[in-house]
Amino acid sequence: MSASDAEADLSADERAGLELVRRSGGIHQSDFWKELDVSSRKGSRIAEALEERDLIQREETVYNGHNTYYLQPATRDLDFSLLMAGDMLSPFIGEEEINARSDAFSQWLMNLAYEEY
Amino acid sequence: MAFEDLLNDPVIQKYLHELVGPTGMPVAAAPPDGEVTDEELAEKLDLELNDVRRALFILYENDLASYRRVRDEDSGWLTYLWTFEYENIPENLEDEMYRLLDALEEREEYERTHEFYLCEVCSIRFEFGEAMDFGFECPECGSPLEAMDNARLVEAMNRRIDELRDELNVDVTG
Repeated sequence: MSASDAEADLSADERAGLELVRRSGGIHQSDFWKELDVSSRKGSRIAEALEERDLIQREETVYNGHNTYYLQPATRDLDFSLLMAGDMLSPFIGEEEINARSDAFSQWLMNLAYEEY
Repeated sequence: MAFEDLLNDPVIQKYLHELVGPTGMPVAAAPPDGEVTDEELAEKLDLELNDVRRALFILYENDLASYRRVRDEDSGWLTYLWTFEYENIPENLEDEMYRLLDALEEREEYERTHEFYLCEVCSIRFEFGEAMDFGFECPECGSPLEAMDNARLVEAMNRRIDELRDELNVDVTG
């Protein structure tokens, strides 16, 4: 089952929970349920359901002196070919700065417009 | 060899090649299981020690390799034991997708809000203001500058922007 299939049949609460974890990049479960405005018991059930579907990672931790869990978005299998235009890789790889008007990027864009699409 | 699944992806091969270059590629393309010294790698791959070290340090700078130093009890020399950390590749490429998306969005706005003129002989592009300053003649060869339609470019950018946003789950309203 792909990640998008796993997401398709989430309940509204679970979907909101997943979005919160993704938006925050990582959040303690004790903040998670408060932010979602649900009970701690319900927050815990949501986090467990998301973990079961491999949509988030859940690790035991101590936070503000309490045992809780740290929730993080699962690493997703992304389509890295979106970095390519024709046979050219994104020109920003290995570069510190992004220059949106560089010649290398113009070349990449020409590849995109006239080879890829 | 470790990380074979990742290394089968042609984009990941291209990425490693971009980082370490052709001379470093034998090092980057065949990460051994566990720890290895630069000398072992040089011997196994039949490469100059300097080329191996250069590739390893580039991988290190990109969080794709780490080392620990141990002192050889006999010689007293320090040995570097290297570990390849290619499990970080997907995260690095995800960052690159965000960087590319930022650049595309910035460039799309520039392309959409400016008019361009082209010297078809020299293939040089000028913004409207520049072209006017040159009297709509190419400063290199004197040919007349022609108005250039960049609609196809803008369309291609928008298409890739949508694909990246969709893939990265970037909130379009946000």
